[in-house]
Amino acid sequence: MKLIFEYEESITGHLPDSSDDDSHSLGDLPRELIRKELPLPNVSEIDVIRHYSNMSRKNFGVDIGFYPLGSCTMKYNPKINEDIAKLEGFMQLHPLSHQSCIQGSLQLMWELGEYFKKITGMDAFSLQPAAGSQSELLGVMIAKAYFKEKKEKRTKIIIPDSAHGTNPATAAMCKFETITVKSDSRGNMDINEFKELLEEDIALVMLTNPNTLGLFEEKVLEISDLAHRNGSLMYCDGANMNALLGITRPADQGFDLIHLNLHKTFSTPHGGGGPGAGALGVKTHLSDFLPLPRVVNDGKNFALDYDRRRSVGMTRYCYGNFGMLVRAYAYIRSWGNELRKISEHAILNANYLCSLLKEDFELPYDRRCAHEFVLSSRKLGQKSALNIAKRIMDYGFHPPTIYFPLIVPEALMIEPTETESKETLDEFATALRKIAKELKENPDFVKGAPYTRSVERLDEVIAARRPNLRWNAHTGLEEEDGKKMPGINEREDRRQK
Amino acid sequence: MKWRSRKKKEKRRNDYRCVRQQGGYEVIIMNYIPVTENDKRNMLRHIGVKSINDLLIELKPSIADSGELGLSNPMSELELLEHMKRLSEKNNLMKYFIGAGAYNHYVPAAVNHLLMRGEFLTGYTPYQAEMSQGTLQAMYEFQSFICLLTGMDVANASMYDGSSALAEAVLLSSSYNGRNGVFVNNGLNPQYLEVLKTYCEGADLEIVNEINEKTTCVIGQNPDFYGNLENLEYLSDRAHKVGALFITCVVEPTSLAIVQPPGYYGADLVVGEGQSFGIPINFGGPYLGFLGVKDFLLKKIPGRIAGMTADSKGRKGFVLTFQAREQHIRRERATSNITTNVELMAIASTIYLSLMGRTGLKNVAKLCYSRAHLLQEKLAKMDFKLLNDKPFYNEFLVRAPSGSSENVLSHLLKEGILGGLHLDHDNILICCTEMNSLQDIESYASIINERMLLK
Ligand SMILES: Cc1ncc(COP(=O)(O)O)c(C=O)c1O
Repeated sequence: MKLIFEYEESITGHLPDSSDDDSHSLGDLPRELIRKELPLPNVSEIDVIRHYSNMSRKNFGVDIGFYPLGSCTMKYNPKINEDIAKLEGFMQLHPLSHQSCIQGSLQLMWELGEYFKKITGMDAFSLQPAAGSQSELLGVMIAKAYFKEKKEKRTKIIIPDSAHGTNPATAAMCKFETITVKSDSRGNMDINEFKELLEEDIALVMLTNPNTLGLFEEKVLEISDLAHRNGSLMYCDGANMNALLGITRPADQGFDLIHLNLHKTFSTPHGGGGPGAGALGVKTHLSDFLPLPRVVNDGKNFALDYDRRRSVGMTRYCYGNFGMLVRAYAYIRSWGNELRKISEHAILNANYLCSLLKEDFELPYDRRCAHEFVLSSRKLGQKSALNIAKRIMDYGFHPPTIYFPLIVPEALMIEPTETESKETLDEFATALRKIAKELKENPDFVKGAPYTRSVERLDEVIAARRPNLRWNAHTGLEEEDGKKMPGINEREDRRQK
Repeated sequence: MKWRSRKKKEKRRNDYRCVRQQGGYEVIIMNYIPVTENDKRNMLRHIGVKSINDLLIELKPSIADSGELGLSNPMSELELLEHMKRLSEKNNLMKYFIGAGAYNHYVPAAVNHLLMRGEFLTGYTPYQAEMSQGTLQAMYEFQSFICLLTGMDVANASMYDGSSALAEAVLLSSSYNGRNGVFVNNGLNPQYLEVLKTYCEGADLEIVNEINEKTTCVIGQNPDFYGNLENLEYLSDRAHKVGALFITCVVEPTSLAIVQPPGYYGADLVVGEGQSFGIPINFGGPYLGFLGVKDFLLKKIPGRIAGMTADSKGRKGFVLTFQAREQHIRRERATSNITTNVELMAIASTIYLSLMGRTGLKNVAKLCYSRAHLLQEKLAKMDFKLLNDKPFYNEFLVRAPSGSSENVLSHLLKEGILGGLHLDHDNILICCTEMNSLQDIESYASIINERMLLK
């Protein structure tokens, strides 16, 4: 399929011609500042439509099939919420409008914060972060500001080895050192090692609960207690909140901070990698540190409050990914006080699928799982998880997560979510079992997979070694079908010659 | 090979739909869970437990049922829509003559139709490239568009928004040259400055007033917050003279259709906000941060990058590349913690740029430029003093006749016009785009004229 830059020159235009009212050419601009060349294509609308429609057909989403990508909660995204997010009153509202013109949006944000408080047990929320990772960053910044104010020098953050990579990456962005704690034989953070490492320079203990193995941290109360007695704060990576709705509140487990990933638990569509939305909840002793502005309500009107001296400041332009907040709000309203069914069924589906598969694959931690579980395909050979992931595509399913948790070799992290039928789970289990058999009987065939996608297995090594990261008007792109494309390094060589 | 059998679906009854009494009627609520009562029994039996509650024991339930949370009753789709409509109608839309980081541009109808394709909308990060060639090719095209527009060599697949893209560019710069002073030229969007300060506080960087050997980077916004357009070569020279990087921030990128790309005047990094390219103003988000760099900074880039490669048969394809920079591989040594980005917004802007094309985008820029200048001239005749000391693009700063700014703005508001952003004193920052018709501009001016005559 060609690139949009490779179409022949055609006709575009969706606006009145500027020359009609053009009393002002660009005459005032200094000559040297006027752009000489704008190397963009002109493609006709019909070709643009076909180009991106065809491109989309090479993609896979929850709307196409089962997408058990662990840790990502790929549940069905209700269509009504798309329509709601596009209501004119929401979508066409300028963020810097007069306060009297934004009451509906402020009410929505304020109420959503209240719902999150009820769901998590926290005391205050900010809806500003754009995603989970930015919430973590905000949380760590808050911890830093909190200890700075208390004049305590704490430079380290404890993170279990099962954690998602973004946890330690966040710590590093705020110049904290990460102290990694091993997991024990039941998949919990090892409490004895934790006790040893919990020294007075520990600012924060970052736990994911249920953790990335899909297991509830059994000693979470004891951990919180120890951390608090040490003067440290407890952070909950709430990426896995889809297991806990209406069942337990992270505040009940002793957490001082938690983030929610609205694109996971609250069903806003993942958009091929985003936009998502984050929400950071804190207990009262940290609420003054939340970012500006805060939405406040005096019982009659809603307002934006910028006047909080202890706040860490702003973490992004304006108030958050508002469009995603609308969807999450609608989702919560549609469920209301039946919210618990979401988690009950997420857990039922995960345990059922796990029970179908644990005979054929290894279950490294044989416990009752929460909303997801991690299998190991170690016995099926090296790189078996990768090969299974590629092969399962031919059966019409998206592969599970395989790049973490790092503590399980050949990990297959499977999260079915509550929106899948038993029929789908049965079909998926049958396919995985078939592949396990294929791997034993004809491993080379599996290693060649996938066979039914728009491309066969792609060469990631070449991509990194000879980076070709953009179309280039001067060198052109493809030599010929079948030949490897020239990358930046080679272009560089050519320029130097 | 179609493996999944389409066996005839038995007629199923979902006993799980919430049923609620309302005024004597039973109202059935949709809840998106397809497992029937019968399925549930079979599933529990297979697991070897009696009830769902048996599955929850390890979670240490602290809530008896979610009714305890005090949320409202569930709503049907119809009720929900009515409720949300009412809420949205509590907002008042205006004719916007305001920008300041969020620009009201026309979005061709085709953008949304393509974006709503479930294949784009409901996929996720393309970790499994063969499954996601659509998203990956769109990423590659997006990166290409950003490079073509800014004059950079490489761009990533998106950042959260312009302000966080700027903050991440500063972290990149510091990790590249190990310095910690950040120099910000006048005219940076004040919200961006706030965000930058927050990130700098976290990362132990310092915003400084002079450029010297400790300066990691120099930041200039173009057009700046007040709409001024400038050749920033002098700033880039000052940065490079002391070995600092020069970052250009572009918050209104339609300007790039008519002014020289930042690469032309020496930018090492270009970051900015892509919202103007086909993304509605949406009360501030989701927007589209972009980040482009010169080749020598490639390995330091935060976030996803798509690269072209070939499959085992030699056919062209795309993958996420240089993943060894990223948090899921490199953990605490990653270039950033960013995970979810704003891919769909990047796709929206890619489609927008494709639809507008070279001709359309230039047209947008010219309309922005000429309408802003038209309004400015009309206002000048009524003693609104222009405060820009450089040529401006589509935003400009005026000083209203003494003491009149509040009055003027509130009067415009009554007539359904948001007349600009009120800064200090009687200063108003005004913005025009192609959405402000000649008629709108005329009524803006005549409303003010009436007020002035009344005085
Ligand atoms: C356990 C966990 N923590 C944090 C994150 C980061 O969240 P986000 O992608 O919203 O930034 C993710 C997912 O990507 C995750 O799975």
